[in-house]
Amino acid sequence: MAPQLTLQAPLELPPQDVSDYLGRLWNGGEQDSTSSGAATFSLLVWQPSWIEQHLVRLGRLDGPITGLEREELLQAARQAVPTCGLPLSTSPLAPELAWQLGQLPGDQASEDLRGQHVDPAISLHQPRRLITLAPSLDGHQHLETLVAAYCPLPEDGPASSVCGDVVVMRGGMEALQRGLGMVNPLIPAELPCWVWWNGTLDEAPDLFEGITQAPRRLIIDTAIGTPARALDVLSQRAAAGQAISDLNWYRLSSWRENLAMVFDHPGRRDALAHVVQLDIDVQGHQPVQGLLMAAWIANRLGWSLESSNHCDGDGISASFRRPDGVAVQVRQMPVPVGDPSTHPGSIVGLRLVCRPEHRAPLCVILCGETGGCMRLEAGGMARMELVEQVVTSTIESAQREVSRTLRGGHDSTNPLLAACVPLASRLLPR
Amino acid sequence: MTATLTNPLRVGLRQERVISPQCLVIFGASGDLTHRKLIPALFDLFRQRRLPSEFAVLGCARRPWSDDEFRQKMEAALASKIADDPESWKTFSAGLFYEPVDLQKSDDLVRLGKRLEQIDRQRATRSNRTFYLSVSPAFYGSGCRALAGAGLLADPNRSRVVIEKPFGRDYASAQELNRVVKSCGQENQIFRIDHYLGKETVQNILVMRFANTIFEPIWNRNYIDNVQITAAETVGVEERAGYYETSGALRDMVQNHLTQMLALTAMETPGRYDPEAIRNEKAKVLQAARLADEAEPWNCCVRGQYGPGGNSSDPLAGYRQEPNVDPNSTTETYVAMKLFIDNWRWQGVPFYVRTGKRMPKRMSEVVLTFKEAPVHLFDSSGGGAPGANQLILRIQPNEGADFRFEVKAPGSGMRSRPVDMDFSYDESFGEPSDEGYVRLLADAMLGDPTLFTRSDEVEAAWRLYTPLVELIEQQPWQLPVYPYEASTWGPAASDSLLARDGLLWRRP
Repeated sequence: MAPQLTLQAPLELPPQDVSDYLGRLWNGGEQDSTSSGAATFSLLVWQPSWIEQHLVRLGRLDGPITGLEREELLQAARQAVPTCGLPLSTSPLAPELAWQLGQLPGDQASEDLRGQHVDPAISLHQPRRLITLAPSLDGHQHLETLVAAYCPLPEDGPASSVCGDVVVMRGGMEALQRGLGMVNPLIPAELPCWVWWNGTLDEAPDLFEGITQAPRRLIIDTAIGTPARALDVLSQRAAAGQAISDLNWYRLSSWRENLAMVFDHPGRRDALAHVVQLDIDVQGHQPVQGLLMAAWIANRLGWSLESSNHCDGDGISASFRRPDGVAVQVRQMPVPVGDPSTHPGSIVGLRLVCRPEHRAPLCVILCGETGGCMRLEAGGMARMELVEQVVTSTIESAQREVSRTLRGGHDSTNPLLAACVPLASRLLPR
Repeated sequence: MTATLTNPLRVGLRQERVISPQCLVIFGASGDLTHRKLIPALFDLFRQRRLPSEFAVLGCARRPWSDDEFRQKMEAALASKIADDPESWKTFSAGLFYEPVDLQKSDDLVRLGKRLEQIDRQRATRSNRTFYLSVSPAFYGSGCRALAGAGLLADPNRSRVVIEKPFGRDYASAQELNRVVKSCGQENQIFRIDHYLGKETVQNILVMRFANTIFEPIWNRNYIDNVQITAAETVGVEERAGYYETSGALRDMVQNHLTQMLALTAMETPGRYDPEAIRNEKAKVLQAARLADEAEPWNCCVRGQYGPGGNSSDPLAGYRQEPNVDPNSTTETYVAMKLFIDNWRWQGVPFYVRTGKRMPKRMSEVVLTFKEAPVHLFDSSGGGAPGANQLILRIQPNEGADFRFEVKAPGSGMRSRPVDMDFSYDESFGEPSDEGYVRLLADAMLGDPTLFTRSDEVEAAWRLYTPLVELIEQQPWQLPVYPYEASTWGPAASDSLLARDGLLWRRP
C-alpha cells in the first residue's frame, strides 16, 4: 500500500496558536464523528530519521524525507555501509551508520514531509491525533509547527467518515526541547496516548523523559542503541507498571512460536524439564534480542541465574540452575552475516539440548531463513534425537510493526516481556 | 506417551486484540447462560488481558438484586475458576453491576439509560455498549424495539445487539423477526449468535479447506461420495423440557448448529477473509441446499424419540417420563435427514445430517467419504473390497481430524487395510482451546461479525427446513416419531434412510 498524504496542505502556524486552532477545528461543528474527530487514541512519534536525512543531504537518496522505512532508503543505506568503512554485517538502520554518514560533507536540500506522509498501516487505526517530533540535522534550526486535518482514505472499501489531525513539530534539538511545553496540551486527556520512540534510546534523554511518562503507552525498539540503556528503560518502565511495547521483542514472536511448537508434542513436553544447554547466535554485536529470548526461556522454565560473563570477545556465557538443581549453560555468540537484517542483533540460530533421564538426548535447532545454522549443527549432535526447524523471517516496516501494537490495544505491558526483562537485564554483563 | 501437561513455552504466546472500552449489558442476567457461559467467558477474557480497564458488565433482569448480590451469585457460580486466581476476580468483579429491568416497562428503560450514563462516568466506557439478549426468544423483537425506543441503539458505531438462538420458529417468523430487528438498527449492529461457530474445530473447517492446497481440488462431486454431519448428545432433555417441548431436535439443533457446519463444509471459496465475503458464500450455499425429496419429505427424513434405557443399576428415563414433558408428547429428540445442494460443486452428493439426545456418545463430527478406487487391485484384509477414504473432522470432543486410507497389511500377500492419520488439537497444541463463548463474545464486542449469522443466512436455513416444519405441524402422522432406546444410535428407520443408498451411518 502506498503512503497517504494529508488531504489538505499542512498549515504552518505559530506554535502558540496550534492548540486553539485545533480546538476550533473540532469543536465548531455538530456532534457527529466527522466534526468531533475520531474517539480512538493519539500517537506521538519521535521521528529523527537521521540516516534518511543524511542520505538525502549527501545526494545518495532522492527526497522528500518521509520518515517511512521505504525500500529505496534501505537500499541506499546498505550501499553506504561499506563506503563508510563499517563491517558488512552492519544493519542498514544501525545508529553507527548515521554517525558515520554525519561525518561526510554534503548539502543537498529536499522537502521534509515527516509526519505528513502517513503510512496506511497507521492510518487504518484512525488515530485522533498524530503528533510528530521531527528533529532536523541543523541543531539550531528554529521550531516550525504544521497542522492539518486528516481523513484516512482506505485503498479498498469505502472512505471513513472518522477524521483526525496531524501536527508536525520540526526544528533543531534545542528548539524541540523548548517547544516541549506545547505537546502536553495537544494530547486529548480522555483518549489513550501512545508514544513511539522511533530512534535510539541514547539520544535526547530529557526529551525522552519529558514525553514518555505514564500513563502514556510507550513503544520502543531495543535493537537500536546501547544494550544497557535499552534494557534499563524497558525494565524500569515495566516495573513501574507503565505499558511498554518493544518492537525487538515483537520480532521474536516467530522464534518463540516455533520453539513452543516443537514442545507442543506431548511426547516431547517432558524434555523441557531437562534442558542442559542453550546456544543462541545473533547477527552482529547487538545482544538484546538474544538475551530477551534466553530470558524468556529461562523464565518460563523456572531457571535461576547464577552468573553471566563475556566470552570469546563479544559473546555472552551464563550459568543457570534448573528447579531440580541441575546446571544449564547458556551461550550467546555474535556471528557475521553477509546480508544483514534491517534490525541489528536479530537471532540467526538457536540450539536447545535436553537430556531426559532414561531417554536419548534431544537437540532442537531453530535456524533463521537466511543465516543458516552450520555452527549450531556442528559439535556431536548426531547421536541425539534431532529436531530442526527453519524460522520464517517476516521483515516488516517499523510502521507495520507499530500498527500491530496499536491494533492489540493493550494498556499494560505484555506479561511475558515484563517477566523476562529483569532477567535479560541481569544477563547482560556490565 | 506421557500425560498431556501444558507446554510452559506455549503459555501467554497468544496476544490478541483488546476490546474497546465498553459496557456489556446482559438481559436475562439471572438466567443459566449468564453464570454458566457468559461471565466465565468474560472472566477468561479478562485473564487473557483482552478486556480494557474501561470495561463494565451490567446484568439486567426482573429480580431485585443489588450489585453486590449479583457479584456474589457470579462468584459462587465461578468458584473453581476464581480459586485459581482470586486477585483477578477481585479486579474483574469490581466492574460487575446489576440493575433490575423489565424491558416491557418504559420507566425501567429510562432508569437503565441513566444507569448506563452513570457507568460511563464511573468506568470511562465512553457510551460504547453491547446489549446481549439472553432472554426468552419471545422477547427478542420487543426487546430490540424497547432498546431502540429508548434511544439506546441510535449510534450504530457505539451500540450492538447480540441475539441468542433460536432466531424465529420457522421461515415466516424468522423473516418477521428480521424485519423488526432491522427496523431497530443496522445489520452491522445485529449479532445473531450460534455458539457452535465459536468452536475452534468449526472454524478449522475453513482453515483446513482454504489454507491447504491438497483438499480443495478434491472437495467436490468428482471425488466425494457422501457427507455425514452428526451432533450426538448423551444427555436427555434435562431441565429444558418447557423449551424443548415446543422446539424439538429440528429447531434446537439442525436449523442452526448442524446447518452452520453444513454451510462451512459446502461453501465456495470466499474471495478474502472478510465477514461479508464469508457470509455471502454461506448464504449462497444454503440457498442452493434442499431436502432430498421436498414433495414427500417423509422419504428423506426420520424422527425419533428416546424411550427408557440403561440398566437396572443406572436406569434412564424415557423422554415422555421426564419432568414437565407431556406423557403423550410427539416432540422429536432425534432427527436424521438427507439433503442435496444444487450447484456445480455438489450436484448429486448426498449430505446426511443427524442429531439426537440420549445417544451412546457425546460427539459432533463432519465425515467426508470419498469415492472408492475405480479398480480394486487388492483384497481388503477384512475380505471384500478396500474401504473408501474418509476425512473426519471431529468438532467435539477430542477436537481434531482423522484421515482414513488404505495401506498394505503386513504379510506376504498384497492385502490392504485401513489406517488412521490423526490430528488432535490437545496433542498438537500445548494449551486448551477457549470455550466458544470466549471467542464469540470478544468478536461481538470488537464488532467483528464473521462468526455470526446474517439475516439472509438465517432465513435460508429456515427455508431449507420449511417442508419439514410444515409437515410436522400440519400432518404429523406423515412423519411419525419412532421410539429408540436411550443410549442407542437412534431408531432403525434412520439406518434404513442410508441403507436405501447402500450406506451406513458412521459409528464413531
